[in-house]
Amino acid sequence: MKLLGARVITESVTKSYGGGRGTAGVDALLGVSLTLEPGSFTALLGPSGCGKSTLLNLLGALDRPTAGRVLVDGRDLATLSEDERDGYRRKTAATVFQFFNLLPTMTALENVALPLLLEGVSPADADTRAARGLADVGLADKERAYPYELSGGQMQRVAVARALANEPALLLADEPTGNLDSKTGEQVLSLVAGLVKERGITVVMATHSAEAAARASRILRLRDGQLVP
Amino acid sequence: MTGFRHLLGPLVLRPAAKDRLRFFLTVSGIAVGVATIAAIRLANASVLSSFSDTVDFVAGKASITVLADGPGIPEAALERLAWLRRAGATLAPAITETAAAGAADGEVVDVLGIDPLADGSAREYSFASEESDILSIFEKDSVLVTSVFAERNHLHPGDFLPLVVRGVERRFRVAAVLRPVGAARAASGSILFMDLAGAQEAFGKVGRLDRIDVVLPPGLSEEGRARFEEEIRASLPPGTTAGRPERRTETVDRLVRAFRVNLSALGLIALLVGMYFVYNTLSISVLRRRTDIGTVRALGASKRSVFAVFLAEGLALGVLGSAAGAGLGAVLAKGALLLVGGTATELYIPSAHPSLHLDPFVLLLAFTVGVVSSVLSALAPALEAAGVEPAATMRHGSVEAARRRRTRPLALAGVVLLVLAFLATLPGPVRGLPLFGFLSVSLIVSGVSLLAPAAVTLAAARLDGPALRIFGVEARLARANLTGSLSRTSVAVAALTMALAMMVSVAVMVGSFRTTVATWVGQTLASDLFLSPASGRSGASFGRIPDEAIEIVRGVPGVDEVDPFLAFSATRDGVPFTVGSGLFAFIAKHGNLPLVDGRDPKKVLARALEQSEVVVSEPYAEKFRVRTGDEVELPSDRGPVRFRVAGVYTDYSNDRGTVTLDRAQFQRIWPLTGASTVAVTLKGGVSPEEGARRVAAALQGRYVLRVRTNATLRRIVLRIFDRTFAVTYALEGVALAVAVLGVLNTLTALVLERRREIGLLRVLGASAARVRRAVRYEAAAIGSLGATLGTLAGGAMSLVLVHVINRQSFGWTIAMHAPWGFLAAALGLVLLATLAAASHPAGLAAATDVAAALKEE
Repeated sequence: MKLLGARVITESVTKSYGGGRGTAGVDALLGVSLTLEPGSFTALLGPSGCGKSTLLNLLGALDRPTAGRVLVDGRDLATLSEDERDGYRRKTAATVFQFFNLLPTMTALENVALPLLLEGVSPADADTRAARGLADVGLADKERAYPYELSGGQMQRVAVARALANEPALLLADEPTGNLDSKTGEQVLSLVAGLVKERGITVVMATHSAEAAARASRILRLRDGQLVP
Repeated sequence: MTGFRHLLGPLVLRPAAKDRLRFFLTVSGIAVGVATIAAIRLANASVLSSFSDTVDFVAGKASITVLADGPGIPEAALERLAWLRRAGATLAPAITETAAAGAADGEVVDVLGIDPLADGSAREYSFASEESDILSIFEKDSVLVTSVFAERNHLHPGDFLPLVVRGVERRFRVAAVLRPVGAARAASGSILFMDLAGAQEAFGKVGRLDRIDVVLPPGLSEEGRARFEEEIRASLPPGTTAGRPERRTETVDRLVRAFRVNLSALGLIALLVGMYFVYNTLSISVLRRRTDIGTVRALGASKRSVFAVFLAEGLALGVLGSAAGAGLGAVLAKGALLLVGGTATELYIPSAHPSLHLDPFVLLLAFTVGVVSSVLSALAPALEAAGVEPAATMRHGSVEAARRRRTRPLALAGVVLLVLAFLATLPGPVRGLPLFGFLSVSLIVSGVSLLAPAAVTLAAARLDGPALRIFGVEARLARANLTGSLSRTSVAVAALTMALAMMVSVAVMVGSFRTTVATWVGQTLASDLFLSPASGRSGASFGRIPDEAIEIVRGVPGVDEVDPFLAFSATRDGVPFTVGSGLFAFIAKHGNLPLVDGRDPKKVLARALEQSEVVVSEPYAEKFRVRTGDEVELPSDRGPVRFRVAGVYTDYSNDRGTVTLDRAQFQRIWPLTGASTVAVTLKGGVSPEEGARRVAAALQGRYVLRVRTNATLRRIVLRIFDRTFAVTYALEGVALAVAVLGVLNTLTALVLERRREIGLLRVLGASAARVRRAVRYEAAAIGSLGATLGTLAGGAMSLVLVHVINRQSFGWTIAMHAPWGFLAAALGLVLLATLAAASHPAGLAAATDVAAALKEE
């Protein structure tokens, strides 16, 4: 088991949308520079529309910056080919969303096994490891349940298990508790905090709740696409 | 209906404008179904109306027509009806014949031999020139032609027209030209009129008549007419019947009815697939707009207006598709007429001259059927839309889960339908039509369709593990999508099953039939050469070869034996059949008449010759419920004659049914000479081609006959067979194409519906190529499931087609022969087409913009 998380550095990252055909573009991010140490747990705190999700998409190689660089363990994500980006998402950076994390047409076990199968793990091993992952989040008895048969908290726990299945170096969480009541949210966060600490994974969590952000070891505030002190 | 008008835009019109491909596919699906039905009905109606027009124009003003059950009415019947003249009625005797005009391969014309003195009051004649009149045909060998015919053949009064009559080319003088009025409109103008006595002499019917048209005195009450009819019947000689002229149309209608019903059934399948399209498109519309529907409901739109909006969408699709279909049908009808008309001419009525009549009623009917079935298909999706709760938050998964619970009851219903399908094969025909057989086929189709969801679920559960190991994680994604959207995917599977089942069953039926016919031709066409009267452009032959010509052939060096087949058309209770004759000694020697029960034809025919018994064809035995040992009754001038049936022989040459007697016996009863066809065997060492050349040389300049070798005739038989079934293949093709388009339609919709899921997959690190492959696998799974179910259902249906529908329609026993090569190729082609159809949605899935898809909620 690798114990070291990823080192993430952004250098003056800007992301603009639109701006074609003579209209003024919208800057979702403007010159964001930050360094995240391996194994750190960072919260991105800010109101909706401040650029949190945009930053997470860039860190997850779902999108490319308009200007600036994103370096993960020294590799510039912009230089990766399509295949390498797919591989990066499978192995290095895992994501948990606010909702719609699970494929509704697959059972909890199949959802967790999916990234393993995508990575080329044999079906038998994938099932074993997925079952272990579900047990780690306390859902050993829900292997055969479909997402619509689970509660919101249970769904998020399955999503966490799936994110950790391939032992990523970086976990990106986009409002992971935004859709849950505060008690359940608290439980899910404790679970995530415990699991990542044990494994030394670097975590970036976007949230608009100061309460949730308090879980993190470091809080970065974003407003109108810029880091504020 | 709160806001119906305001809902149309956001819920129907704007989405349709955005999704033009699916909209276009749906409209085309309906159009193809409606066009097929319209084309077939138009073609059939044209064939039948051309015939019934001819019947009407020939019957003229006659209110009663006397016809013969056997070969003609003895002329003496006229004397027995002489009292009618005294009672103020007119009697118009006539003979009806067919001839080839111009040359041996010329236009086929009807010939009506009439009594010029009497006919003017029974039929209407209008002359192109003032100086002409009907009496001009008293002159020997002169004819009246119609202006249509005269123009086509560049004829003027005084010109000579060569006609091939009884194997001899004779010249007739054009006495006058008729305007297209009354009798001249019969057979679309392809009709000639000549003097009765001249026609009797020319066609070898001296002393006999084919019909007597009776014009009753004017001002009779219905009761008076009926009394006349009764008295006419009482004074008629045996073997003749009197009735209203319309009767003959019914007879012809009955002849082609089985053929027509079979074609219409195929047209309905095309429509069924079109209905599936409407259902599919609308239910996907509803699904994709669930949130919108929930929102408008929350804003105060009523259930009823939501229901009405989606029903209106079905109606609009139906109206557009059906209008396009009716137009397309009118265009396709021309092609269908060639096929249907060709078959009708070849198999049933050699002198039919069908011309396309675009009956607006038929077009309206096809349009209505299209619109009504579209609205019916829209009912379920519209109800589903109306059931959406205000501000719907129900997740897709739970909607599908509710549907999955219906899988078991649906499968049970499917099994019940299959049991009923089996039971429906047991009853006999209804009024000569295999209605229960058709019911059985439709029960199989619907039963298997209801099993589709269960089949998808079962296959997904059983094959998930192996498929995952062999094809990788994409197979699992495909499996998850298949069962996750069960209500969509199982409908696509069901539609493909339906189309394939039809294709497989018809292919097996036609393949079996073809093999059976080929074997039968091999058994029966034992002779080396076959002679028939020259019959112009018609594929069928008519007229007779005179005895003198047969004698010439017998004397040709190298000719061993000659077997003349002589036949006439008879009716029993209005049902037509054929009475034929051959040399039983010839058959007893060669054994070329396979018997249904497998007995040795040599022994049976030898005994039949000795005991003066007859043999009947299988269609006759089926139609009139006759078996070996029973007696058959045949019409003659001296009243009915009865014969014991020595055996039933297989015969695929016609479905009218034939009673065959020994020639000598036959000629003792009916005063007919010559032969309809002549089979010739050659001595050893003479090749068929050499024999044909010698026979043709001997006849040269004296008789115009068709001489064909065994090999040529076999080829012609199979060519006619293939042409007859060409239209069925064309329809199968249409149904399949529509079903494959359905897979394209479904997959495209599903890909659009799953944008978020695809985005999520990409986040998990699945490459675009893998996403594309997953969609391809899903298509392959739908195709394979459809192919499997379709083959199973098609196999069962082919049994019903062969053993129930064909047997009850035509009276033929067919041995099952599956055309494996063709089936394998067709199934392979369907799978390939399905995969090709998946390219578009697969590309669409691969091109999904991940960040944008994830933003959608």
